[in-house]
Amino acid sequence: MGESRIERQSLPSPRYEYGADDHVFVELAESMSFTANFKAQAITQEVRGRDLPGIVEVAPSNASYLIHFDPGQIQPDDLIEDLRDIEDEIDLTEYTWEARVIDIPVLYDDPWTHETLMKFRDRHQDPDATDLEYSARINGFDGPEEFIEAHAGAPHMVTMVGFVPGLPWTFQMVPRDQQIEVPKYVQPRTETPSRAVGFGGAFTAIYPVQGAGGYQLFGRTPVEVLDVGQELDTFADSMVLPNPGDIINFRRIDRDEYDSIREEVESGEYGYDIGTVDFEPEEFFERPESYTQQLTEVLD
Amino acid sequence: MLRIKEGGLSTTVQDTGRFGNYHIGMPPSGAVDQYAHRIANFLVGNEADAATLEMTYSGPTLEFEEDALIAVCGADMSPSLDGEAVSTWTAIGVDAGQSLEFQFATEGARAYLAVAGGVDVEQVMESRATYTLIGIGGYEGRTLEAGDELPVGEPAADAQEGATVDDDVVPDYGSEDTIRVVMGLCDYRLTDEGRDVLLGTQWKISDEADRVGYRLDADVDIQDLFEEREQPFGAGTDPTNVVDLGYPIGSIQMAGQPIVLMRDAVTGGGYATVGTVVSPDRGTLAQGRSHETVTFESVSVDEALTIRESWNDQLDALREELLG
Amino acid sequence: MADNVIIEAPMPGVFYRRPDPEEPVFAEEGDDVDAGDKVALIGVMKSFHDVTVDTDGVVTEFLVDNESEVEAGDALLTVAPS
Repeated sequence: MGESRIERQSLPSPRYEYGADDHVFVELAESMSFTANFKAQAITQEVRGRDLPGIVEVAPSNASYLIHFDPGQIQPDDLIEDLRDIEDEIDLTEYTWEARVIDIPVLYDDPWTHETLMKFRDRHQDPDATDLEYSARINGFDGPEEFIEAHAGAPHMVTMVGFVPGLPWTFQMVPRDQQIEVPKYVQPRTETPSRAVGFGGAFTAIYPVQGAGGYQLFGRTPVEVLDVGQELDTFADSMVLPNPGDIINFRRIDRDEYDSIREEVESGEYGYDIGTVDFEPEEFFERPESYTQQLTEVLD
Repeated sequence: MLRIKEGGLSTTVQDTGRFGNYHIGMPPSGAVDQYAHRIANFLVGNEADAATLEMTYSGPTLEFEEDALIAVCGADMSPSLDGEAVSTWTAIGVDAGQSLEFQFATEGARAYLAVAGGVDVEQVMESRATYTLIGIGGYEGRTLEAGDELPVGEPAADAQEGATVDDDVVPDYGSEDTIRVVMGLCDYRLTDEGRDVLLGTQWKISDEADRVGYRLDADVDIQDLFEEREQPFGAGTDPTNVVDLGYPIGSIQMAGQPIVLMRDAVTGGGYATVGTVVSPDRGTLAQGRSHETVTFESVSVDEALTIRESWNDQLDALREELLG
Repeated sequence: MADNVIIEAPMPGVFYRRPDPEEPVFAEEGDDVDAGDKVALIGVMKSFHDVTVDTDGVVTEFLVDNESEVEAGDALLTVAPS
């Protein structure tokens, strides 16, 4: 039996929008798809590579990208012309990039996010269920166990990093009919534990620090995605772990493993399991299941 | 060395900002009113990117360990040296051992204290700007408190006591502000009427307006300003939601109320942004006090570029005049 | 006996008589206070300013309600100096 493919979406013409005098925002599609996100990643990588004058920030997002520039060095209309040229020139079927595959251990249904979500049942769609029970039910799973298996069963692409430093939005690397979809809370919570793994819309997020939040809470990772003091080796060059274009493998762990990893993280000795692959979108679209399996084989 | 004796309401070390890391969620931080920040620097012989103290509503009390040349620009907080009133928007000589004190701002929200040589805290990612959310930059990544000691850099040799600017350089912070905006980004989500409401309403600056965002209040149901639609895949269920995207600094995010994103902004998310405040007007807005009202005026991108250019020209001329 | 002293808001914001919604008020009308005592807070831009009395005396009246908006210069409370 052949595995199901991911269909490339045909995208509308990009919308080039002025963000006042110093930003250009480019919306590649109104809806989320790998096609739109890979295009955002490819164009922004190309913009970085070309060394255009006056570029201050280049930030890919889920189905769009944002550029902050100095109009003293490049006029917005000239920049947009350059961006259109790049869009025309890039052959997305051929475009590949070097991606890191990062192992993120997760204690699903952990006591900390459980305590938090129970405190905020009155802000939830289904006050009588947990976030995992609710998410499993509305996505047609028998229960949390099967749901967790699906969430940890295939890797997730970091399609955007932001909101606060180090927070990755990830999109699971499966065909659309296997994508999980869960709305955010009806009313956002005022609390979320740090390192919580949450889900909203079609995206998994990891909360780098504690704070407010509206995503459904599935678990907690013992590892950091933001290390301001840069104490762990992995953060020697940057205080933020995930970058757009990275691939995250959420790996289900038990409490004992959570505790022992956490201990290593706190003592500064934890070594992240990170591999590097040459990511080929075309291969991924053609055979998502076997290709993503192959990608995660670079992990220990 | 500057010794902080009282921290003030919310005082941070700021500069022109930290750039190049927006794609990993790092906002620029830096002085929210770059106009006052830069002029304060020029008056004491510093370049624009030297770090100043940004003081909100009420300034700190601080003591100078060495002789210094200082300037205070922005909201008027009636500074005094050892009890004697000193001029603002003017380079003032300070003797070692003297104390500088501020009163509450009567107009405007933020003042900037520049010291010749700049506040010389360590750089983080090439900037001294404080970003309190994750505690980086400035002094230990936080607002100043009694007991903090801030190093001062080497002053430029030719900085002059008494340097000042013309009266017309000093903004009138008491006047009602019109904030110029280039509509766009996701403004297709607004109905024509919704757009008119956004541009026609007198918005009141909320008590929670801060360096992250200026929240604006009015008796307006934000959802009513939006076109109904079937939400696209990944966008979330509320009509104000879009597939998560990057927010420009200065953009107006429609999250239950309009929020103009300032320099410690959240860098992206799933609320529709519908326009962006022209860069010089972000500083004007940052001088708006809670409960004051602002209105938005739509301008074209060409007008925005002209506004920015004349702002730059004015600052360049002042720099030329003061730094030579 | 000296006249009541009026304490004014130095800045706009929200007037709080408690450190936290669950906690008791800083001071009640009729309470004895010492110079420097904190009797309320003004919250603005997610920072809090301590409202203190500058004389020993008795709090005679709170002129604004807890959690109401105040402007700079608004009279907040009166204190009868002792």
